Order: sequence, then C-alpha cells, then structure tokens
Amino acid sequence: MSENYVAPGQQRYLRACMVCSIVMTYARFRDEGCPNCEDFLHLQGSPDQIDSCTSQVFEGIITIANPQKSWVAKWQRLDGYVKGVYATKVSGQLPDDVRTTLEDDGIQYIPRDGSATEAD
Amino acid sequence: MASNSWQFAGADDESDDDNFNPAPADMSDEENNDNDEETTHNHRPAGKTVRQASSPGNRRKRRNKDRRAAFFDIEAEVDDEDEGEDEVGDGEEIEDFIDNAHPDDIADSGRLNDDRRHRELDRRREMEASLDAEKQAEILRERYGKRAPARGYGDMAIVPRRLLLPSVEDPSIWAVRCKEGKEREVIFSIMRRIEERMGTKNEVPITAAFERGGINSVMKGYIYVEAQRQNDILVALDGILNVYPRSNMHLVEIKDMPDLLRVIKTPNLEPGAWVRLKKPAKHVGDLAQVIDVTENGLEARVRFIPRLDYGVRDDPVFQADGKRKRPGVPGPRPPQRLFSEAEARKRHPRYLQGNPQTNSWNYNGDDFENGFQVKDIKIQQLEVKDVNPTLEEVTKFASGAEDGTENLDLKALAATLKDSAKSVAYVPGDIIEVYEGEQQGVIGKATNVQGDIVTLQVTEGDLAGRTIDVPNKGLRKRFRIGDHVKVIGGSRFRDEVGMVVKIVDDRVTLLTDQTNTEITVFSKDLREASDIGGQGSLGQYSLLDLVQLDATTVGCIVKVDRESVVVLDQNGDTKQVQPSQITNKLPKRKFAVAADRNGSEIRLDDVVREYGGQQRQGKIIHIHRSYIFLHTTTTNENAGVFVTRANSVTTVAAKGGRNTATAGPDLSAMNPALKRNPAASGKQMPAPRTFGPDRAINQTVVIRRGGYKGLLGIVKDTTDTHARVELHSRGKIITIPKADLSFKDKVTGKTIDINQRGGSRGGFGGGGRGGGEFGSRTPMASGGSDRTPAWGSSRSTARTPAWNRDAGGSRTPAWNDGSRTVNPYDGSRTPYGGATAYGGIGSRTPAWHSGSRTPAPDSFGHGSKTPAWSAGSDSWGSKTPGYGASAPTPGASGDTWGYTPGASGGGNSSSAYDAPTPGGGLSAPTPGAALNAPTPGAYSAPTPAAVSAPTPGAWQGGWGSGGDAVSAPTPGALGAPTPGGAPGYADDD
Repeated sequence: MSENYVAPGQQRYLRACMVCSIVMTYARFRDEGCPNCEDFLHLQGSPDQIDSCTSQVFEGIITIANPQKSWVAKWQRLDGYVKGVYATKVSGQLPDDVRTTLEDDGIQYIPRDGSATEAD
Repeated sequence: MASNSWQFAGADDESDDDNFNPAPADMSDEENNDNDEETTHNHRPAGKTVRQASSPGNRRKRRNKDRRAAFFDIEAEVDDEDEGEDEVGDGEEIEDFIDNAHPDDIADSGRLNDDRRHRELDRRREMEASLDAEKQAEILRERYGKRAPARGYGDMAIVPRRLLLPSVEDPSIWAVRCKEGKEREVIFSIMRRIEERMGTKNEVPITAAFERGGINSVMKGYIYVEAQRQNDILVALDGILNVYPRSNMHLVEIKDMPDLLRVIKTPNLEPGAWVRLKKPAKHVGDLAQVIDVTENGLEARVRFIPRLDYGVRDDPVFQADGKRKRPGVPGPRPPQRLFSEAEARKRHPRYLQGNPQTNSWNYNGDDFENGFQVKDIKIQQLEVKDVNPTLEEVTKFASGAEDGTENLDLKALAATLKDSAKSVAYVPGDIIEVYEGEQQGVIGKATNVQGDIVTLQVTEGDLAGRTIDVPNKGLRKRFRIGDHVKVIGGSRFRDEVGMVVKIVDDRVTLLTDQTNTEITVFSKDLREASDIGGQGSLGQYSLLDLVQLDATTVGCIVKVDRESVVVLDQNGDTKQVQPSQITNKLPKRKFAVAADRNGSEIRLDDVVREYGGQQRQGKIIHIHRSYIFLHTTTTNENAGVFVTRANSVTTVAAKGGRNTATAGPDLSAMNPALKRNPAASGKQMPAPRTFGPDRAINQTVVIRRGGYKGLLGIVKDTTDTHARVELHSRGKIITIPKADLSFKDKVTGKTIDINQRGGSRGGFGGGGRGGGEFGSRTPMASGGSDRTPAWGSSRSTARTPAWNRDAGGSRTPAWNDGSRTVNPYDGSRTPYGGATAYGGIGSRTPAWHSGSRTPAPDSFGHGSKTPAWSAGSDSWGSKTPGYGASAPTPGASGDTWGYTPGASGGGNSSSAYDAPTPGGGLSAPTPGAALNAPTPGAYSAPTPAAVSAPTPGAWQGGWGSGGDAVSAPTPGALGAPTPGGAPGYADDD
C-alpha cells in the first residue's frame, strides 16, 4: 500500500513534476502519469513528455499526509492535490507549448523553481 | 457494473474540467464515451433542470448542462455564468464540498420520480455495498482526488501568498534533528509509515513533513514535521531510523514558517557562462564553457578541454594477475590537452570518425569540436556557483582561435566572476568605486573591511569626506591611467607589474615593466604597486631554482619569462627552455657540502672566490656534484649567477663564521698517529665514558629552574641529558634536564657534587657526560684535588690534558705549560671541550694564543694560527702543538706519566707540550726526517730517520709533509717561518 515510498536505491530515478511538484519515480510517471496534472500534461506512457515536463533537479522533499489540513500544503499550493511526496523547488522550465496549453486551459501555472517567489 | 460506475465518476470529472475551462476540444469525445458506455445515464438530462435549481453546488449538474449546451446555446451561456459564481463559492470550501457532495447527489436522485432513475440508484447502491470498504475508499479517492487539482488551480489564481500566511489555527511545525544527509530518506520513511497506517486505528497523526537538506544548506540535519501537537510527532516518528525526535525538537515560530519553505531561484545558465564539471571522474573540477542549454534548463551542452591518453594506458586494464582493474579507481588522469586527430588515429583509427573540414570528430563515443570535447551534461552535474575561473584557464579556451588573437569573452567571464564576490579582497587603502546600487558612482578609500562590508572614506563628489558602509558586491577597485599596479592574483599574470594604460569598466590594461607587453586583467586582481618588476616565477619554477634538464644536465634559472625560463647550465651555457622541458626541480639541499681547492668544506651561502680565471667572488646558492652555482651582486649578467667547479674556488668567508681554515678535513681520519694506534684514537675523540650506572641516580636533588623550581626529589633514572626525578612533594616523576638539577647531600642537605665522591672513579671524572651539558659546572672542576698523576695515567688513556688540568691539583709544570690554553675553557667548557683545543676548533681563542703564541705566526698574518700549526704545514694547520703533543694521548700524558716514548721521546714533557715553540717545532725536524718520513709509517719509526726524530718537532715535520702531499697547499706561502723548517718544505714541494 505504500506506493509513494521510494527506497533509497531507487531515489536516483526520482523526478518532480514541474507543474504540481509531485515527486515520483520515472517508472511511475510513465505507468500512471502525474496524479494531479495528467489531464493536461498527459505524461502516462510518453517518455518525451515526462522528460520535458518533469525534472530530475529538485530540492526539499515534502511528504503531505493531509493536503486539506496542512499549512505546508496550502503554502506550497498543494492543497487539493493527492497526498504524496512533493518538492519545495523544482528546477527547470516547462516547454513553451505546454505553457501555452496551460494558459489556454485557464490553468494558472506556478513555476516551482523559485522564480515566482519574488512576485508575491 | 463496477467499472461502469467508476467510469461514470471519471467521466464526470472530465466534464467538470471541460466545464471549468471552456475550450472543450475533447468534450465531444467525453460525451461519446458517456453515451456509449453509460447508456443507463441517458435519461438524465431530463431531470437535471430540477436538480440544478435545488442544489447549485452540485457538480454533476454541469455535465448535464454541457450536454444540453450542445443543443441549447443560450441557456448554456446563462448557466455558465452561474457556474462561475458557484465556482468561487465552492473553492473556499473544498472540504465541505467533498464531504457533502456524494450524499447530496444520492439524495437528489432519490427525490426524482423517475423509475428508471430509482432502479439505477438502487443498483448502484447495491453494488457499492457489495464492494469492500477498501475498494470503496479507492473509488472515492479516485473520484475526488482527481477532481481536486482542477479546482486547486482555480484557487491558486485567486489567493495570493500573503493570504496564505500561517495562523494560529494552522498546525505547528517542529524541527526535528536527524542524521545529516539522511533527510530525504527519513521523509520517505515517514511517507511509507503514513501510507501503511492509513485507514487503521493508529493513523499517523501528522499533516506533513519536509526537509531542506543538501550539502550547502543551513537547514541540513533537521527535518520539519507539521502536526497539531508535539506528541503526534513522537508517535509518528517513533522507530524511524536516522531521526531523533526525543533528543531535541524545536517549535518553529509562526512568523518563521514561510521562511522554511523559501525557494531561491537558481540562476539560469546562459551560453558562454563558465561552469565546473562534477561528473565524469576524469574531469572533476575542470572548467567548461556552456555552449547551449536545453529548453527546460536541465541539461547543458558544454565544451571543455579533453583529458585523453589515446589508449596509451589501455593495456593495464587487465593487470598481470588477471584481475580487472576496478573502474571506479582511475589512475592519474591525463593532462588537459586539446584533441589531436593524429594521435587518435595512431592507436584507435577505428574509433575515430569525423570531418576534418569542420574539425569535428567523434572518438570513442565522445564528440570533439575544434579540439574541445563537447558534451551534454545535466545541470546537477555542473558546478554553477563559485566557479572562479582563472584567466589562465579561460585563455586556454580563448586560444582556440587560430590566429592566436584573444577572442576572450570577458563579459561572460566577468559575469561569472561577479557572482563570487568572496574572491575579491579589499584592503584598507584601496581606492574603490561603487558601480552598482544606490551609492553608484561614489569613489572613496577603504578604511575598514569587515566581512562583506567595506567602509569607505569618500574622496570625491558631494559626499566627499563622509564615511559610508557599502557591501562589497557592487564595488570595484579604481585605478587611473598611469598608475603603477601589480597583479595580485586570480590570473596567470600574477605578480606582473606595470603601468595602467587603459581602463574599460573593470578591465584594466597595463603595460608590464618586465616585458613591455600589454595585458588585460580585472581591476579586482590589481593593487597599487610599490615595487618594480616582478620577481618572476613560472609555475613551480622561480628565479634561482636549480632544475634538472636531462639526466646529465642541471641548471639554475636565471630569468623567468611569461612562458619560458632561461637556465644557466652547469657548463656555463644559458638556454631558454619551456617549463615542460624541465625534468624536475631539484630541491635545495641545505646540507650539501663540497670541498674547495684547499680541501676546506664549503656549504651553501659561503662566500668563495674563483682561484683562477676571473677571480669572481660570490655566494654559493647551489652545490651540485662538483659544480657550484654562485650568485654575485657585482654583475647583472645571468641575474648574477655563475657556475664553476668546486675545486677551483677558495673560501672567503664561511657562513656563520665557521672556521674554514681549520675545520677542514677530518683530522682524526688523517692523523697518522691515530691510524697507527687505533686503540688510542678510539679513545681519543669520544667523550670519556663512565661505566656502570649514572651516579646521579638515587641522588637527592633540588630543581633549580622551571615550573618545578625549588622542589626536592630523587633521581630515578637518567639519560645523557635528562633525569627523571621523583618529587618528594608531589609523588610523581618528572623528566627534567640534568642541567637544572642541583645535587644535595641526603643528610646534610648541602649542595654536593656527586662526582666528587666519584673521584676514585676516574672514568666518571671524564665529565664529558655531566659537564658537557652543565656548562660551567664541570664535575671535575672541584673534584679530584687529591688525584695524582699516577692515578690519572693508570686510569685511562683517554684522558685529555685539559681534563687533567682541570682535575688535578698535581699538575706538572710541563703540563701547565702546554695546556694552559685550556684555561679559557675552564669556566665555560667541559674538560673534554678543552680537549678540542687540540682538535683545532678552539684553538683560536685568545687564551690559546696568549698561552702558546710565538712571534712567528704573527709574521704570517695568521692571527689564529698557532705556531705549531703554521710551522707544521698549512694543510694540517689545525694541528696545534697541543694536538701534536697530545694526540697520542698516552703521549699527552707525557713524561709526567712516563708513558709514551714516541711522543715524549726526549723524556721531556715540556718538549712534548712545548712543541709549538719555534725552537721545538721548527728546528727539530731535520730535512731528512721531513722528507723521508712523510707517511705515518715514519712516525712509527721504521726508518732510522724517523727513529732519529723522536722529538715532537720531528714528528710534526713528518706530518706536515704528509699534509702537503695530500692537499698541496703551498708551504711557501705559509710555512717556512724559520730557516730550519723552510728548506724542508721547499724541498718537499
């Protein structure tokens, strides 16, 4: 049942979604897609998309046990996401076409690489 | 059926999204899906209008509305607006929504009077009931978990961060200590525990946990756990490895909570920037230049200078023992060199593909362009911060241009360097300009530098005279054209000195003093220069170093240029060499010794003069085999360095006043007397030994010096110099120099000399042990007043005259006569030390001279020479009469002890000791003796001549001639003080 647990030996394969910052292994992204963003990122089964929309460079692991109650989740704007492991900072930029898609969908994309912090 | 219902939920979600984001390109698909798979729902549009009115918050209605929208445009539009408002309301209470939605849903449906609807509902309930709880949970999660994100985005757009600041209602965050480097593992362990216990009685009561570890993070060693109560954390973390909730846990204050999650953007890599490689082990730390960065910024194409050995070291992969070399342990890595097609072709033609036109190659799977290796590297394998490229490294990249022009992108370099402000060191006195920030344009003199803050005394402009503090980030040193500056670091021009000729921003061009070339450096690498010209050094080689050029050639560096050095080799030739041509640098051998033409030892730093030729004089800087490199200040040629053979110089002055004249060859080794009589020689030189245990042991002593001064103790053990003393008062044993001890009588407490009682033990009387260390307190000084000569002679042949003299009250006149010289040592030297007088070392003391000097030596101007010395021969100069007389110690005992016929042949002790008198020394030797008996054998008197020369004088003559033969001094110059002696030497020569 502990699907979000990643053994230390497997942690090198971890990637973080650049949109929701969830941290999973590459294999899980490939097999299941991003649990939060699959609707518009369509990561499942598409390695290219995984490569461009998730990042191996991330810092600050957060485990969210209760996304509704947690202030950390709220602050990180993770409330409403599934519980799981997230990153505080995900380096890398979404490809422009994906960003455009997000905008067209009316989804406010929050960069997870720290560039949004100054804006607030 | 289960799948149907599930599908239904999923479709529901999809349509929610569509609804929410009105650009439903795929909506029709969804609709079709619904229609195809869920025929049971087809009736729904009919009843939906009612439901919509009754529960505006319901989600399902939207799907229906959409469906209608396909047919009724106007109504759909109106509905949409409603939805928008609803949406805002919903967003604020997701929880409520999730909690209520489902029952609502069902209740709504229940209210309908549609039979089919009822049946459908019943079936669904039945089905749901039949599922086990876990499955149901799964379904619910699937349904709402997926729905949440879409709603979440709506929230995010609306709520700014400042409204998210934590309040007292939010859970608290505790910092919990954990093992450094294990933060991530701990977080995952917590995740696992949360999931394992989910749905059980003891669910993990925390809401979140996070880490901000990392090698350079200040937050490493902690994880942060968010929970309502502290006890929850203890429960949650109990038994998890590497985290220590029980040691100390800090509550993070509410106002600090946002800081815990602060994220600072890593600056983007720009093409042209400099980075250092972290990953391929062979290239760790190498500088690389970014050529290109991938769109997502996670990978960069960089170029760097390859380290290739072109297969030269391939072979030892399989070592002799058949074991494969461990790949993780690379040997010494090859040096950085640009890729060479020719070399690659030599060994691995098969692995090489490429295009000579574009000069791009693929070799062994690596790409090379223009000699540089080009590679895509992930940015986590690049060191982006604090790169600090040196100009030297950077120019390697720049020199890729074929015409050799500097195509250096100083801008990119400057940008890289600017980030690393710590490399800039401002020193009080620097003239500094502020080029960035509020104080831009201010110019002043640094008066104080503390950390990153520089205090400036403003010298120009409106603020003149004011003192301001500025962070050193926006500062640069300011120079004016014409300033004389020195390069202080960070570039390959280090230590160059020159004049500023051009300044562009923080790039300063200067004309060097040494080579008159223009160089450009950053102003941060400059300082106002006080000196002229650089004391050159090139890599590890600096001026005046001795270097090995090839197996047989060494040279001294006499000039250091930018890229090469000029070397004066042992043959006196100068040549210009590259550092790469230098095999290695020969370390300065401090204790190298050579012999000058007189056989005197010469060492480094001695001043010597060439005997022939140009009579150059200089200080020895290197001794290599038989060559010595000298440095003189009288000429500038070759930086004042010249080379000559050691045996063609004479000593002018030895360093530290070492007596080169007398401290020449090892006397005892050449002393025929000692050779003849090894027994005597063996005992001659070493300090008189004592036998048996040290007498100091078990003596009561008082410590005279140091921290233990005044304490009484008993000597437990001794070495030559130290004693271990058990203190009465402290009951412990300390080690203390014997010199610091004063021996006390156990009973009376009076200061005693332990050796006094040892008077009967002549061996101890040697005093070399105690006295040698104790300076003035020679044990023997006070001892042995009752000693008789007979006693002395019977005791030890090693006894020196000095010793005797000190020891004995029964000195014979003859004794006094000869060894009076020892007098000066009486106070300050050991008896044995006095004995060195005849070794020649101490022979220069005035006392010695006063005691035995004869008029003759003065006439040579050799103040230090004892008569016998000069009379004997210069080469044996150290041989004083005292020596001659006493060398065979038995002889030294002289007739007083009636011992050695050889030395005291005349039976006249005074002649033995008075040998230095002109009469004795010079007139006694017959020419025949001198000439015919130059060998030690002569001394052993096998020939009549020798036999007939039993007087010390004769003996000395023999010696003297022997010495001549060996070291060939010119007796003419030195000797021949008396008519008697002169002919002999003249002949000899």
